Amino acid sequence: MNLRYPFTMECGQYRTTYEQDLAFHPSRLSTVRGWVIVAALFIVPLALSNYYVSILNQVSIFVIAAMGLNILTGLTGQISVGHGAFTGVGAFTAGYLMKLGWSYWLAMPAAGLVAAAVGGLFGLPSARLKGLYLAIASMAAQQILEFLFVRAEWFTGGVHSMTVLRPKLFGHSLDSDYGFYVLVLSVAVVLGVFAQNLTRTRWGRALVAVRDRDLAAEVMGVDLWKTKVMAFALSAFYAGIAGALWAPFVMIINPEQFNFSLSIELLAMIIIGGLGSVTGTVYGVIFMTILPILVRSVTQPLAVLVPAIGDKLLLLKDIAFGGAIVLFLVFESDGLAKLWRNIKDYFRLWPFSY
Amino acid sequence: MKAMVKWIAVLMFVVLLAGCGSSKPTSPAPGAAPATAPAAPKAPIKVGGIFDLTGGTGDVGKPHSEGVRAYVAYINSKGGVDGAKIDLQWVDYAYQTPKAVEAYNKLTKQDGVSAVMGWGTGDTEAMKELIAKDKIPYISGSYSEQLINPATTPYNFIVAPTYSQASRVMLDYAKSKKADAKVALVYNDSGFGKSPLEDAKAYAKKIGLTWTGEVVVPLTASDAVTQVLELQKMGADYVLIQETTNATAVTLKSAKQQGAKIQFMGLAYSVDENLIKAAGDAAEGFIGIPAFAFPYETGAGIKEAVDFAASKGIKLEDLNQKWIQGWAFGRIMSEALKRAGDKPTGEAIRKAFESFKDYDLGGLGSPLTFTATDHGGAKKARIYQVKSGKWQPITEYLAPKQ
Repeated sequence: MNLRYPFTMECGQYRTTYEQDLAFHPSRLSTVRGWVIVAALFIVPLALSNYYVSILNQVSIFVIAAMGLNILTGLTGQISVGHGAFTGVGAFTAGYLMKLGWSYWLAMPAAGLVAAAVGGLFGLPSARLKGLYLAIASMAAQQILEFLFVRAEWFTGGVHSMTVLRPKLFGHSLDSDYGFYVLVLSVAVVLGVFAQNLTRTRWGRALVAVRDRDLAAEVMGVDLWKTKVMAFALSAFYAGIAGALWAPFVMIINPEQFNFSLSIELLAMIIIGGLGSVTGTVYGVIFMTILPILVRSVTQPLAVLVPAIGDKLLLLKDIAFGGAIVLFLVFESDGLAKLWRNIKDYFRLWPFSY
Repeated sequence: MKAMVKWIAVLMFVVLLAGCGSSKPTSPAPGAAPATAPAAPKAPIKVGGIFDLTGGTGDVGKPHSEGVRAYVAYINSKGGVDGAKIDLQWVDYAYQTPKAVEAYNKLTKQDGVSAVMGWGTGDTEAMKELIAKDKIPYISGSYSEQLINPATTPYNFIVAPTYSQASRVMLDYAKSKKADAKVALVYNDSGFGKSPLEDAKAYAKKIGLTWTGEVVVPLTASDAVTQVLELQKMGADYVLIQETTNATAVTLKSAKQQGAKIQFMGLAYSVDENLIKAAGDAAEGFIGIPAFAFPYETGAGIKEAVDFAASKGIKLEDLNQKWIQGWAFGRIMSEALKRAGDKPTGEAIRKAFESFKDYDLGGLGSPLTFTATDHGGAKKARIYQVKSGKWQPITEYLAPKQ
């Protein structure tokens, strides 16, 4: 045991029972690795400047929303382009409840539940609709909710925005970026572990069965309608929690923040990251958040050096995005998660890959 | 040998580029004699810009940002603000609020800017709490009257007539043309669109006009016949438009098509050269209040801008009203930095803004006055009209009569 090469976690593993095959951590080393990563995520940002911590906040919030969408689209195979609006439902509900005097610690889960109810409601058409038709139906959800955000002023504050204060923990306001990051990361880790565990449960396997062949799933006794609607509700719950975290992060919310392009961006994140993969979601969100910042920090100095091209270089950002999505779809439709696995496999088998 | 020459050429080119890049912020103009040692150069003042070049409002956001950058280049070529150069750090946020928040965090936390020039209504709104918390003076292209009260938004400054203020001046104009005019508003369902609604309604009643109602034309509408018919049914004869170029052009064209006898009156973002291009003949006779002046007008401030552009090889025809707006933003910000003195902290710049009293922009826009209780700087507005395909001023700078 002690003589083993420490980085080869799979070495000497013999799975003799079904439980071992399904284990959350295949080996003790990977358990340790998991805890080390979580600890590092909490500790390392202490050394970073506020700006980087605020990026991490944004990444973590988007990870939660995208993980939700990934349960629906990646695991269950139902397309939704209404997740931006579900995020908004969570944000406005949290804000509204806090305005009524609720504590944030109650308002946040409540916002998730309300978003889940709304998501389940708009998931009802999935009983009858599939593929593109369902996508259009979920677009209708986006439009209807956006309209409500603007018009239901008693609830959302309408176009005049709603102020949401940072929550207090033990009488201490989470004003600093790091303080808020601890909250966001904790929620993200809990929800991430839940999503990862989901695939190991009976219900999670039912989701996958629905995705792979709904008719076969139904024959095997999976209640299609219930499963799909529950998947919608669960994924909207994630989106709602993300919204409830976004609201106190920016401290002011208005309907323009939860528009159609947010839904599309979430979809792009999970496609690039890897459909049906929790770690892939994280990679996808990091990629989509960091890439524009990187491209910007490269092109802006360039634009100064080469004034003739100047601002046109900024368009590179959009081209890079479009290009990335097309390239992933063509060459690695399982996204960054698969790409990472391929790289690991290469080194694992090296030098005897065949 | 040939290869080596090539390499040396490449190397020299790289060095040249690097030299251009690094020398830009501090070195004196080329050819300046290095013999006379200049007074110890002050540290540059960092100012942030959040612009939209590639997003939904990129058509007007791009000339605006070019105007701001042109002014910064201009003031730096003159030695900066009291000897301190302005270091403009800017970000293209593509009109997406989350990106604007990220950009704002970068500018304030990473680059340490002391003031920011922003852009859209949605993102200015979204950041007003952060702005107040971080004490970052903020001017933006959102001229909403909701932002002028320092009790709620202590660090937002509005540098052009607010939509509400422009509506009041317009309604006065309607009153002067027809004492019992019936007025209405064309708007859209956004913070920007709804901004002047209540104020305009209240003022119309106050000066004794009949407010007949309001109709919604979406920003992306392709036709507005239904809305024009509704305006006709209401019997409105003077109608305010609070839209951007597209929706305004669509409304004007639909009205012309229906032969409606309505005098339309545009506010801020419905008034620019693009509108005339988009609406064609239908724009003739349209009146409006632009946020800032047009480049072909006269005035010391405009001449300064146009001359500087000419020295950079930009012709007058290539400039537009949004470029002038950007230039004016740069000028107003520089004036505040100058008044803020040696230590331009957020608080100092706020105090500096609040010392503006009838600050004259040399024809670029209406004179600015900020006080500790009122951050709506421009109390006066000037009305323009489209005459033979060109915006022409038809009044002086006017304040609302009541």
